[in-house]
Amino acid sequence: MSGTRMGRVGATILLLFVVAAVFAPILAPHDPALRTTQPFAAPSFAHPLGANDVGQDILSELIFASRLSLTVGFVTACLATILGAAVGIVGGYLRGPVDTVLMRGVDVILSLPFLPLMIVLAAFLGQNTTNLILVIGLLIWARPARLIRSQVLSVRESGHVQAARAMGATHGYVMVRHVLPRVTPLVAAQFVRTANVSIMLEASLAFLGLSDPFQKSWGAILFYANARSAFLTDAWLWWVLPPGLCIAAVVVSFAFLGYALEERVDPRLRSTLPTSEPSSGSGTPMPVREDALR
Amino acid sequence: MPRPSGAAWRRIGGRVAQYALVLLVAVSLNFAIPRLAPGTPIDYLVPSEQVATITPEQRERVLAQFGLEKPLLEQYRLYLTGILRGDLGVSAQQGRPVVDMLLERLPWTLVLVGGAITLATVVGGGAGFLSAARRGGRTEAWGLALFMFLDSMPPFWIGMLLLVFFSGYLDLLPVFGALPTSGAAGGFGLTLEFAQRLVLPLVTLTMVRAGWLFLVARSSLAGELSEDYILMAEAKGLSRRQVVLGHGVRNALLPLVTAVAVEVGTVVGGATVVETVFSYPGLGRLIYESVLSRDYLVLQGAFLLLAVGVILANLLADLLYPILDPRVRAESLR
Repeated sequence: MSGTRMGRVGATILLLFVVAAVFAPILAPHDPALRTTQPFAAPSFAHPLGANDVGQDILSELIFASRLSLTVGFVTACLATILGAAVGIVGGYLRGPVDTVLMRGVDVILSLPFLPLMIVLAAFLGQNTTNLILVIGLLIWARPARLIRSQVLSVRESGHVQAARAMGATHGYVMVRHVLPRVTPLVAAQFVRTANVSIMLEASLAFLGLSDPFQKSWGAILFYANARSAFLTDAWLWWVLPPGLCIAAVVVSFAFLGYALEERVDPRLRSTLPTSEPSSGSGTPMPVREDALR
Repeated sequence: MPRPSGAAWRRIGGRVAQYALVLLVAVSLNFAIPRLAPGTPIDYLVPSEQVATITPEQRERVLAQFGLEKPLLEQYRLYLTGILRGDLGVSAQQGRPVVDMLLERLPWTLVLVGGAITLATVVGGGAGFLSAARRGGRTEAWGLALFMFLDSMPPFWIGMLLLVFFSGYLDLLPVFGALPTSGAAGGFGLTLEFAQRLVLPLVTLTMVRAGWLFLVARSSLAGELSEDYILMAEAKGLSRRQVVLGHGVRNALLPLVTAVAVEVGTVVGGATVVETVFSYPGLGRLIYESVLSRDYLVLQGAFLLLAVGVILANLLADLLYPILDPRVRAESLR
């Protein structure tokens, strides 16, 4: 598949989930919070994907859960991209001690094992979606920051930036008016990636029992399915398979979108950098050679 | 490898200082989180079912036992010295030292994570290099999409599906734990039992991580193959094989090593959820159990131990670079 085609496929899948999330109350056959049938009910006409261990309709759970995943993905990505872009632009543009301090911080964050740290944070802070978003967002901004910084390093040497400086523009003005527009495509690509990573992290935390108990989430559906050993019975077909497919579909749609964006932004990325660096489950930095040589 | 020069030692010293900083941050986070979290420290130190019924005297005693009535700086000093002595506190649920609980689980996780990293590097890296060497074909593009999809699947979900097929339907492999619960066969038999139980978690974790290493290896080699020296090598009449293996792959290895080192943290995270699915008695399973029983000190201890593991892996990669790449050696001589 070419990059553009991947992008189209990704956008289509994502759009389907957005529609499902927005129109969840209309699309879902039942209220997923209510007990509408027997526990562990097998699929029937009224309940196409059967019921979970308390008798809630699984299809309705899935549809409502898309709201949480997309919200977490979108909000954490906003948070992480804004923070990452700010740190990356300021560090890369100003250089010197500010840059050193910021990049030390980035390195430290990137060296911590993310999921265990998030588990500790989520366990202490309590299980609600706002905390979850903050926890994920505050840890995954570091990789976008490093990547954006490395691009800013070359942008700051370009003619129009030098000219603006020579004409007496302030640092703040140059960063906002000249540097930011040049790195916007990279920022957009990083936004997609971060959304992708955070959706996977949210699913993992929910699977470990750290999601908001009052909000449906795909990871949490799998948490209950696992706790009840649903994979040892036929129930895996309607209880285990669909939530995982939903997670994989959303994550891959973001990965495809990110790939297409990057290819469009900078064709060189195709040959010199990992062209598509999809969800790695945590914010691992992109292995660029300069890192190793530093 | 030539004898490390003074500059090389300085470079390594710099990295060690960096990792020491990471460690200090991890320890400080561990110290700060319970003190910043909502509620009182008591909530986190006694078994959750006793929090509501605890008497003021007991409360005082717990506070004194953990030195929580002392000033914050003194608490921090005590905490640091405690960790240096290998004291991570006592589990609220089991009443055992956290260090003992962690060390008991560590070997299982080491086997799983070590095995998965090795396999994923060989399989993912190999496939990635192969894909880059035969670039531009239709299969190559679909292979990329396939590996991206593989990389997008939640690890715990892959694990559950593998369980369904290999243990549920085919009844090929035992599902639970790492060792049989009864009838210890001893020696070889036990090893075989362990190996059988290791297969599925290992395959799961490898599948999850191979996708990412594939992408890194592919783009790294593709980048090298478009360089001028490759054209030069071809012009000299070297065979395609010599060009790709002797020149391309050799240079493309370094980013792969970086990726593998960086990957350790992610694999450890993946191991947490995969071990949970398979009831594999490693650190990840311990984390899951501690989340369920709200055994906070164990969670913190596990995080710290995993942080140390990731740091050591990164340090190892740093020491490997100069061996793999003469440019790094040259850099440190400059």
